[in-house]
Amino acid sequence: MSQTGIVFNVQRYTIHDGPGLRTEFFLKGCPLHCAWCSNPESWDPKIQYGVYSSKCIGKDACGACLEACEHPEALTFKKGRLARIDYSLVTDGKELYDACPSDAIKQWGYEMTVDECMKVVLKDKGYYERSGGGVTVSGGEPLLQSEFVADLFAACHEAGVQTCCESTFHVGWDAIERVMPVTDIFISDLKTMDTEMHRSRIGAGNELVLDHLQRVVDAGCDLILRIPVIPGVNDGMDNVRATADFILDRLHGRIRVLQLLSFMRLGVEKYQSLGMPYGMRGVKVEREAFQAHVDEIADYFCSRGIHCVVGTKERQ
Amino acid sequence: MSQLPAREHAYHTDARGTEPFDKTYSLGYQVHHEDWSPFPRVNRLRQTFLDGEYYIDVERLRLVTEAYKEHAVAPRKLQCAYAFEKVLRECELFVYDDDLIVGEIAAPSKASPIYPEFSVDWIIRESYEHPTFEEREHDQFYYRNEDERREAVELCAWWKGKTVEDLINCRLDHDQLKGSEVGEKIFQTNLYHYAGTGHLAIDYPRLMKLGFGGLIDVIQGKLDALDMRDPEYGDKRDEYRAMIIMYRAAEAYIERYAALCEQKAAETADDARREELAAMAANLHEISAGAPKSFWQALQLFQIATSLIQVESNGHSISYGRMDQWLFPFYEADIASGAISKEFALELIEVEYVKMNNPTKLKDAGSMAVRNGRGFGGESLTIGGVDSAGNDATNDLTMLMLEASAHTRMMNPWVCVRMHDKTPYELVVKTVECVRAGYGHPKIFNDGPAVKGMMRKGMPVEEARDYCVVGCVEIDLPGKEYGWHDAAYVNTPKMMEMVLNGGKSLKTGEQLGPDTGSLETYQSFEEVLESVDAQFAYWTDQMCSSLNIIDAAHHDRKPLPYVSGFYEDCVESGHDLTEGGAKYNGIGPQASGMGTCADSLCTIKQLMFDEKRVSGAELLQAVKDNWEGHEKLHALVNSSKVHHYGNDDDYADELFRYMFECYCRHIAGRPTRRGGQFNPGVYSVNANVAMGMNTFASLDGRKAGEAISDNMAPVHTDAGSHDIEGPTAIVNSLSKVDHSLASNGTLMNLRFPEDAVSGVEGRDNLVSFIEEYISKQPMHAQFNIMSAAKMRAAQKHPEDYKDMLVRVAGYSAYFVELGKPLQKDLIQRTELHF
Repeated sequence: MSQTGIVFNVQRYTIHDGPGLRTEFFLKGCPLHCAWCSNPESWDPKIQYGVYSSKCIGKDACGACLEACEHPEALTFKKGRLARIDYSLVTDGKELYDACPSDAIKQWGYEMTVDECMKVVLKDKGYYERSGGGVTVSGGEPLLQSEFVADLFAACHEAGVQTCCESTFHVGWDAIERVMPVTDIFISDLKTMDTEMHRSRIGAGNELVLDHLQRVVDAGCDLILRIPVIPGVNDGMDNVRATADFILDRLHGRIRVLQLLSFMRLGVEKYQSLGMPYGMRGVKVEREAFQAHVDEIADYFCSRGIHCVVGTKERQ
Repeated sequence: MSQLPAREHAYHTDARGTEPFDKTYSLGYQVHHEDWSPFPRVNRLRQTFLDGEYYIDVERLRLVTEAYKEHAVAPRKLQCAYAFEKVLRECELFVYDDDLIVGEIAAPSKASPIYPEFSVDWIIRESYEHPTFEEREHDQFYYRNEDERREAVELCAWWKGKTVEDLINCRLDHDQLKGSEVGEKIFQTNLYHYAGTGHLAIDYPRLMKLGFGGLIDVIQGKLDALDMRDPEYGDKRDEYRAMIIMYRAAEAYIERYAALCEQKAAETADDARREELAAMAANLHEISAGAPKSFWQALQLFQIATSLIQVESNGHSISYGRMDQWLFPFYEADIASGAISKEFALELIEVEYVKMNNPTKLKDAGSMAVRNGRGFGGESLTIGGVDSAGNDATNDLTMLMLEASAHTRMMNPWVCVRMHDKTPYELVVKTVECVRAGYGHPKIFNDGPAVKGMMRKGMPVEEARDYCVVGCVEIDLPGKEYGWHDAAYVNTPKMMEMVLNGGKSLKTGEQLGPDTGSLETYQSFEEVLESVDAQFAYWTDQMCSSLNIIDAAHHDRKPLPYVSGFYEDCVESGHDLTEGGAKYNGIGPQASGMGTCADSLCTIKQLMFDEKRVSGAELLQAVKDNWEGHEKLHALVNSSKVHHYGNDDDYADELFRYMFECYCRHIAGRPTRRGGQFNPGVYSVNANVAMGMNTFASLDGRKAGEAISDNMAPVHTDAGSHDIEGPTAIVNSLSKVDHSLASNGTLMNLRFPEDAVSGVEGRDNLVSFIEEYISKQPMHAQFNIMSAAKMRAAQKHPEDYKDMLVRVAGYSAYFVELGKPLQKDLIQRTELHF
């Protein structure tokens, strides 16, 4: 199959996104920009290059990037190590990436064909079969590349491999519909019932997401629903109650499990590597108290008869 | 969709422990926990052991020296027998509070006897010269007082010139010594140069059937029937006489213990204890006269017979065979008759497990460096697996023995679960529960490649299926094989150094091996591989010829009639184990640093020949300069832009395979003087750290002094781990070689943090991982469920982590007792996340 996707990471042997042992493809590009996103490298659909200063061995010992760069002034060094690349001057980071000997410049995103993906998938087929696992696509928003996902999943099914799609659902219904026949499980977030909050912290209102969640459930799809519990955004009990109402009234409680993912300060180094500001910088969390609060929320959902767990597991 | 994993191939068993098969033994290691066992007695015994100190005990040295002086003109085998007899008739005996089973190694618990028959120079040196045994950074031992120190040194002085070591030293020539531990340490034959060999499991089924009395009858029969026309008549007569002297001494020793138990029973005011002591005395009377009649007696005979192997010689890795198999008939009968309950059987097993920890072994500083730890080490206890017909052999004891391991959490025994494609689901789950409890046991062996490896040693499949593990990872046929496993540690990166530099040392420029070309002269990658082959041929010749000389010295100076008598073939032939009496004989030296060599070849192939980015001269200069001034190249070699073994990348994995096969090819099949063959192993245990300290920079991006790669594992240098694709990639890389070629064993460490295996799903995922691992045919796996953070915490507050076991490699050790460099190596090993 010639269909190609832009992938920014392939993780073999993941256990978090879907049942069992899985191979996960992270696809590039996302219509939403959640402030707490731990994968900022997934936002831009184009290939990007990030800087990992700690891996740089220093311009005095090396200097390969300076030699390779047409505009050396685009490179900022701190204490002799590469700290930032000014992308208004550097149009293509590839030559810098190629020149760097030390993994200090990382390439985010590369093209993969369905065949190439399947080669990776099949290497671990035995693990999927024994554990009830399979393949997951995530992102970013994988359904921005829905044709690629549909082809990849079709190939998986042909090989007898279970498929799981983690989507924001903030995409056209046609994209969801395209992958539905070859998707065994969907994973999606219900970030907040407050559409204004959704718009201000995530970048768009929640109407499309809520509508698609309902349509996916109505179509009989297997759905794992998630709430990333973010302090001050969606952890108030009003929102929790409204969420429970939505799950019971509009989804008829027909979800596989509701997973609560406690806010963690993840991905900060990736923001740094891309020279992007981290939106949750000012948020301080008392870990123990917050965890207790998340447990309380889970208890509430359970009391409403919704199968809810803290973390990415399906069983307590 | 079902919530449960697909389990189309789940096989089940009726075997159960005393707890449900999926009992969770609390996840992740917890320290300061004193009630792991449900039996208060076991918890007390365990704590007493942990709180004890490591002493040097002079009694054996004193008695053995006296015996040799008394029998100065006796034949060697009889000298050995008289010395053994004197020790058993005169040594102090110990029956401890709470003991249900007795028998030490002619020294109190945790005190190490001295074995002057093997070597004395280092004992004399390290008794007074800094750093003395007491002053070592780790593995300290203490003389009880200055009088004993003086006595030990005086007695050892008498042995100068008479030891196994002395004979070895005068027979090895310059070319053999220059590569050994006394020279460049390209191969290290320390272990058997300075101490006994061990590494065996006796024929326990036969011992349990005959007892010492029955064995004496058989040997006496052979002695009476000896043919005077047999040119070896005199030699065989010595062997049989020695065996009989030693077994009679063992019977007397058992009676001495019985008398002591009776005396203690008479003295105690505690009625319950009096009954126990009386029962113990009755058990001892029974087994001094003949075969054991109960489960308890079988364990008592096991304890005496096994510990006496360690009175005869200080060879380590005296292993227990397939204990769930040979002990089962006693268990089955006692349970059927109602003589014991399942709970009492478990308590006895746990008591015995704690007891297995008592023997300690004083080692020379050099051996200690490659082999940390104060126990003898290597006491493997094998359970599970298939029977001789190929059917699963799991029974109740399999389950109980795992359970006892989780309840005692000590260094010994080194429990090994044999697995195969029909291992019952319950056993896999129970194994996983023990693994993720995080105390470092058990290790897992794979019947597929292990049985195939045994067959490469010439065994028919029915025998091959009866293998057990001795030591860390060596596969062995109990009661039929004298494998001389663990014979030498081979530093393959140092051989690679000769490949880079025309046979010369990188550090000094000295010509050590033949000039087979250098990076400045090779015109093609094929030439590099030919050079590797030639250097390996040269150095393995030096090593294997040395090992045959060392083997001969053991035969000459320290034959082993006591342990030989447990081998039916030795009794049949009248030949001692040291002269080839076993049915199968071997010598198994093991390669270290294969990953380092493979990644070095990747650097050469990719950068020098394929991409032509760097010249051979530049690469050579970079390692000569220890990478200083070559930072760019150093970073590149350590980066993801160069192929590395362990990432399921055929480019690199092919080169690993080349190295693996090259080593095995040069070792396998060489004849030994005992009539068997050399068998290659590919494992380093923890010797990769000490070897690395002594190894100059290498082309995988290692700097001088950093650890070389461990066992079958990918490289991790101070600049970072070379494997970045996760556990399934490592397993695929690892599975591209035929493990059975390494018929002396392979070893693979995998480390997961606690959270990766937590919960029911974590358990099921680890179960799936192990089952798939087994199906891919590597020989061995062991797991450390221990985060780097926890190990760092233990470094900071060692007093709080006294009983924290970590899986080092093949064996578990108390983390805080390990040397700092090894602690660092353990922390650096890649932590795998699911």
